Amino acid sequence: MKETLPNPPRMLIRFFRWFCDPYCAEDIEGDLLERFDKRNNNNGKWSAKAHFALEILLLMRPGIIRPLFNNQKLNSLDMFKHNFILTIRNFRRYKNNFIINLLGLTTAISSVLFIWLWVNGELQTDQYHENRANLYQLRTNHPNNDGIRTEPGVPGLLLEEIQAHVPEVALAVACTDAHEFTLSQDKIAVKAPGKFASEEFFNIFTHKAVHGDLRSALSDKSDIVITAALAKRLFNTTDVIGKAMEWHFFQSSKQLVVSAVIEDLPPTTSEKFEFLMSWDYYHNDLIDFKGWGNYYGRIMVVTNPEANTTLVSEKIDQIVEEKQGRDAVDVFLANYGDQYLYNKYHNGVQSGGRIEQVNLFILVAIFILLIACINFINLSTAQAAYKTKEVGIKKTLGASRASLMSQYFIESTLLGLLSLIVAVLLVWTLLPQFNAISSKEVVFQPDYRLLLTGLALVLTVGIAAGSYPAFYLSGLRILSVLKPGVTLFKGNGIARKVLVVAQFAIAVILISGTLMVKRQMDYVQNSNLGYDRENVIYFEREGKLLQETAAFIAEMSNIPGVKAAATSGFMIGGANSTGGIGWEGKAEEDRIEFLETRCAQGSLEVLGVELLEGRLFSKDFGNESEHIIFNETAIREMGLTDPIGKTVRHYSGNKKIIGVVKDFNMKSLHTQISPAFFLFKPEQTLFVMAKIGKGTELATIKQIEEMYKSFNPDYPFQPNFLDQDYAALYQSESQVATLSSYFAALAILISCLGLFGLVTFTTQKRQKEIGIRKVLGSGVWKIIVLITMDFTKMVVLAIVIALPLSYLAGQRWLDNFAYRIQPEWWWFALVGLAALAMSWLTVSAQTLKAASINPAESLKDE
Amino acid sequence: MGKNQLGEFEEVVMLTVAILYGEAYGFAIIEEMEKRLNRKVSIGALQTVLRRLEQKGLLESQLGEATKVRGGKRKRFFMVTNMGRKVLEEAKEQRMQLWNAIPKIAFNDQ
Repeated sequence: MKETLPNPPRMLIRFFRWFCDPYCAEDIEGDLLERFDKRNNNNGKWSAKAHFALEILLLMRPGIIRPLFNNQKLNSLDMFKHNFILTIRNFRRYKNNFIINLLGLTTAISSVLFIWLWVNGELQTDQYHENRANLYQLRTNHPNNDGIRTEPGVPGLLLEEIQAHVPEVALAVACTDAHEFTLSQDKIAVKAPGKFASEEFFNIFTHKAVHGDLRSALSDKSDIVITAALAKRLFNTTDVIGKAMEWHFFQSSKQLVVSAVIEDLPPTTSEKFEFLMSWDYYHNDLIDFKGWGNYYGRIMVVTNPEANTTLVSEKIDQIVEEKQGRDAVDVFLANYGDQYLYNKYHNGVQSGGRIEQVNLFILVAIFILLIACINFINLSTAQAAYKTKEVGIKKTLGASRASLMSQYFIESTLLGLLSLIVAVLLVWTLLPQFNAISSKEVVFQPDYRLLLTGLALVLTVGIAAGSYPAFYLSGLRILSVLKPGVTLFKGNGIARKVLVVAQFAIAVILISGTLMVKRQMDYVQNSNLGYDRENVIYFEREGKLLQETAAFIAEMSNIPGVKAAATSGFMIGGANSTGGIGWEGKAEEDRIEFLETRCAQGSLEVLGVELLEGRLFSKDFGNESEHIIFNETAIREMGLTDPIGKTVRHYSGNKKIIGVVKDFNMKSLHTQISPAFFLFKPEQTLFVMAKIGKGTELATIKQIEEMYKSFNPDYPFQPNFLDQDYAALYQSESQVATLSSYFAALAILISCLGLFGLVTFTTQKRQKEIGIRKVLGSGVWKIIVLITMDFTKMVVLAIVIALPLSYLAGQRWLDNFAYRIQPEWWWFALVGLAALAMSWLTVSAQTLKAASINPAESLKDE
Repeated sequence: MGKNQLGEFEEVVMLTVAILYGEAYGFAIIEEMEKRLNRKVSIGALQTVLRRLEQKGLLESQLGEATKVRGGKRKRFFMVTNMGRKVLEEAKEQRMQLWNAIPKIAFNDQ
């Protein structure tokens, strides 16, 4: 029969088929056509078409539009249950893969959780103050011959000026850095870190009172505010308002009354102090160097929310300039809460700091997670060869692509969830060890943020790890899967190889990066700074030690284990610095900052400083206080030739140069050696310092303690070690070094796990091939080489890619140090070889097993 | 059976399906309704109601054989189920009760 009737618009039909519920699409379409024909016959084709369109529009109503999901009206819970059971069965069936994935993901998720805890701790540091948005610390930029130095210190006199003349500043406080002082009460004496702060302190910083009123807690010179923990140490109770105690430092001491007790500081504080004393007392009674040229104060301000900080900085800078009579420094505001993470300044410009480590570890976390996900993807695509039949049959039976995808996503998410649970348990049990390694006080509190992070992790892992199998497998065509002889996965092998290469490349980068950090830290810790810091102990000169110094030193020198003893003002990092030195030929623009160290008889000898010219201080020469010793750098920078006997102007009077010592680094190796000088001021030396013989440290210190007790029964004996002080300078780098070495080890572990899974799978799949090869006369060794070569190629490629990258990254990190190692090519070669060896070791057992199977075994069933 | 209260349109559709016994598919139902009741019915309106009634269990449906007409699309034939019959009868009874309860006088003085 000839079809002469006009047809309804195809577009509209297609549109209808798209939106209509497939359940009723066919019969409704039939009805539509029938009606179209009828109308066409009765009213003509235009009317028919118009009505057709109208009918279709009217069909767009809830009962007819296709539902979003499960068009087959399956119970979705049943479907989920089904997928769940399948997942469990798959886990059981491929035990190896399951265990490898679980191990890998658990390790990765625990690492990520640890890093998250650590990063979180860093990010929250100093963020608990309610004023944090408008809370600033004043900092000063000091221009000198080598560029601009940025310091936290400002003249203490500035506080009152700011309060009086800068209306944008709502609150301002002056304080000092925390220092260890001796506190005593009745017969109890303890050492505790404390600082001086002016009245507004508690209005600016957020601290909770246990007892007492914080608003007026620092108004009197004899007020002291202590933490609950310190109160317990001193009084055994926290209810101690109004109790008396005594504070001691060097030649001063002060009777104090407890005015308030505050809660212990949270672990997220950057400055741990246990007590606060009045700034008034410090400023007016204690220091004798009040002046606009001395930067002994730390000033924090809270600005009005609408104030422009640049303008405020300028105003304050103006005040300083007027008072100093010249533009010697630039004052600027730095957000107090940001200072912990952004603590480095280069030439007066903020240039990172701890935030770099935070970012580094976030990167490491992402890398580790990536490696674990790659494992999962690799193993499941390798498995896919087995699963294709399953997919084909399911599709034949009418499974939609979406339902297949959901199965794979459920599988990976479930695995992620399982790993998360194990990882949380692991993190929870290993936290004390982690805290010990990272020297942090990270607490593991399951809160909503952690819950969210965990869920985000599981979802990331689920989606990232499940995506490839989900999209790839579900997209397979039924025919090509079920028809025998059709080869699948042609490109798949390459994708898998790329993933393995990426994985190993990341692991190698992490390892060689760690190696470089470790090398540099070793170099820093062991390099000869020009003075002896091994086995040098020091403690503060207090109590009777102030008067009976000579007797004490003499008695101490008699202890057999003590090699040398003296009082000294030497401190690692430099005690004081000054620009107040004038010399012959000093030019107007010369600005040299010298480190100033006060010495007594024998101070420099204890440190083992090498003398280049002249002599060291000695009591045989009478009045040494008119004399000065410089280091090499100082002489060079001042441009003095033949310095011995020349006179320089010190701010306390003229001094004659009697000696030049070899350069030694008083600060960290981050910085170049600074110019330094030494003055003979025995009465102002804060410490007793002693060099102890090797091997008898414990016994000697014990003897010193007994002797100390006989002089100073009321003071706690607390010796410090110079090398520990030095190590503390690199604390944050050491942390990075230790933590990153653990994470690098984990990264390679996870990569090897993945490799192990892959090789297990490949050897299984190639069993028949191996059998046939052996039948045809191939030896075990040849087969091992054959299989190993596959993996070796990938690992070598990974190494080739990774090494240059890690070299560049390492160079950038080393730029932080003024004195640094030069990375040697053979370290990288070593890392490469180690990675290769690891991968060989990983595959060896499986390869050997596969290669030594009797061909009769592998070929018998077919 | 209070829950299965039928709407007016629903009732008409069910009655039409019953009338067309064995031949009740979408197009035929519309034709029948337009012929008998002289009202315009869109496919969308009808299909939604059919769907709903089927879900409620008052109608059941079956696909017929494919034929050459209507583009080879199969027809879906609807039947009133036993439950559907009961509901229809109930509705009818209720109406009758109401009719019977009207006092004669009410409609007399028109």
